[in-house]
Amino acid sequence: MIENARSINIAASVILAIGIVYILGPLYLALTTASHSYQETLQNGLTWLPGDDLADNIRRLWVETRIPQQMANSLIVALGNAALTCVLSFLTAYALVWFRIRWASVVFALILATIMLPLDIRVITTYQVAANILSPVNALLDLTGLNSLISRFFGAPVQLELSILDTHIGLIVPLVAHGTGTFLFRQFFLTLPRDLFKAARMDGAGPLRFIWDILLPLSRTSVAALFVLTFLSGWTQYLWPLVGASTPEMQTAVVGLARLMPDNDGRMPDFPLMMAGAVIVSLIPLLMIALLQRFLVRGLVLTEK
Amino acid sequence: MTSDSARFGHRWLPILLVLPLMILILLFFYAPVIQAFYWSFFLEQPFGGGSQFVGFDNFSRVLADPEFWRATWRTLIFMVTASALAVVLPLVLAIAADRQIRLSPVARNVLVWPKGVAGASIGVVFAFIFNPFVGILAPLNNWFPGLWAPGLDGVDAFITLIVAHVWSGIPFNFVILLAGLRAVPHTLYQAAALDGAGPWRRIRDLQLPLIAPQLFLTLVLEFTESITSVFALIDTITKGGPGGATTLLVYKIYADGFRGYDLSGASTQTVMLMIFVVLLAGCQFAFLGRRINYER
Repeated sequence: MIENARSINIAASVILAIGIVYILGPLYLALTTASHSYQETLQNGLTWLPGDDLADNIRRLWVETRIPQQMANSLIVALGNAALTCVLSFLTAYALVWFRIRWASVVFALILATIMLPLDIRVITTYQVAANILSPVNALLDLTGLNSLISRFFGAPVQLELSILDTHIGLIVPLVAHGTGTFLFRQFFLTLPRDLFKAARMDGAGPLRFIWDILLPLSRTSVAALFVLTFLSGWTQYLWPLVGASTPEMQTAVVGLARLMPDNDGRMPDFPLMMAGAVIVSLIPLLMIALLQRFLVRGLVLTEK
Repeated sequence: MTSDSARFGHRWLPILLVLPLMILILLFFYAPVIQAFYWSFFLEQPFGGGSQFVGFDNFSRVLADPEFWRATWRTLIFMVTASALAVVLPLVLAIAADRQIRLSPVARNVLVWPKGVAGASIGVVFAFIFNPFVGILAPLNNWFPGLWAPGLDGVDAFITLIVAHVWSGIPFNFVILLAGLRAVPHTLYQAAALDGAGPWRRIRDLQLPLIAPQLFLTLVLEFTESITSVFALIDTITKGGPGGATTLLVYKIYADGFRGYDLSGASTQTVMLMIFVVLLAGCQFAFLGRRINYER
């Protein structure tokens, strides 16, 4: 199709250039600031040209702060979230689509509802549950009257206690309690031809053989897409790791970075150190996006459907 | 539905497969939601000193608090302005990136990057960039002292939050809208061109109506997203200040619950926020959804 589209192409180029500057500008400024010393930033303010103190600021970050250890925590949380979400939601979607079960729609509705209310909204009571994950059991014992029965015979009601605060598991599992993965796999499984199943049955494949030899190889890109998406989401979490881990040793890198900001003591914050932190903390996920862009975009589009 | 012959007939195996995720969801989604409702009807002592049923007292206490209404009003203003910008800007960018020009492959790559930068990380960066003394607008203050003062002026602090929120929201909305644009059949463009519609006209009469489903979806998701994800930005950029000007509900709930130890008050506000979010999604699907033609 040939037509004169010069005016719109110029406008589109200008718009895209503005968009790219908007995205890259803050990242670039963080990098240039991270390459200046505290004194220079105090005198000159924000500078567009790189300096030569980047290595020193990163060294300070490594020696004076807990960012390295917190990066390890972030890695554990992000990998744990990605792996657990992929495995559990794959199995759940598999059961919902490929088994003859009457309660499938009820379970799916229960899972889907989790998408509506993000963890950040219900953080207060999620914290209480994490402080004692057996508290629902206690409540059930109380409600059913079992506990009054028990206390009559044994003198005291049952009060079970198990806290997962300040543990890696505790930082991970509330993130996994989410329906996006199940939704994504279910949609994918429903697009597969049913004859696949019949053929596999004819060849004598049972449920486990079917999942291993047929479903998994077919879903490789979907799994990769969900893995990238949940890894990034685990790495960038803020509110949950902020309340779920109370000691600096257990906090994630993003929380540790935000803690570098002094609480209003009138002094100018150590911006070069913080910008170096922002760059370092974002490095792993940014590399992942650059290398695995294909899967990320696929994942974002799949979660929409 | 497909016939039952195309499914396994096991009884216990599917239960076993569903159980791990269901336990996590019951424990970390439904139990907290139920507990929030429970606590909103009880007066809870902060350090486990027992609880007392108080009916709707918590609700009347929260509803009588002017600070709650101010936080709600700010949340609504933020939700509308930030969401509108966070959808319109990616929309313009997606329409531009859909054209075959030299910059569009670069843009399609770079515009996804914010997905890897945590809200709190970019909050720290924007706190520096918009710092009134050393930031990008500091020269402005040399000429007109006090023109840019996010530490004193609530509007300036609010603008900073919106700029940071839109930055973080670009990837998802851009990818979804661009995917919608790419799915428009090429023959439609050719037919419109034959009818004499130029490229500008085709944006209005062809592209926008055809990606209405995607626009609707991004707006629905963006409303909830703007209410919740703003926490990381507030906590790193403004801390709710100056003078509470950026204390949105999600931040107030956190402050009341974890700093003020007012568990009942925080739970009551959580319940109201949850009801609001669910109603919001419901309304949008009921009213907006009907007017959109999903058929292509």
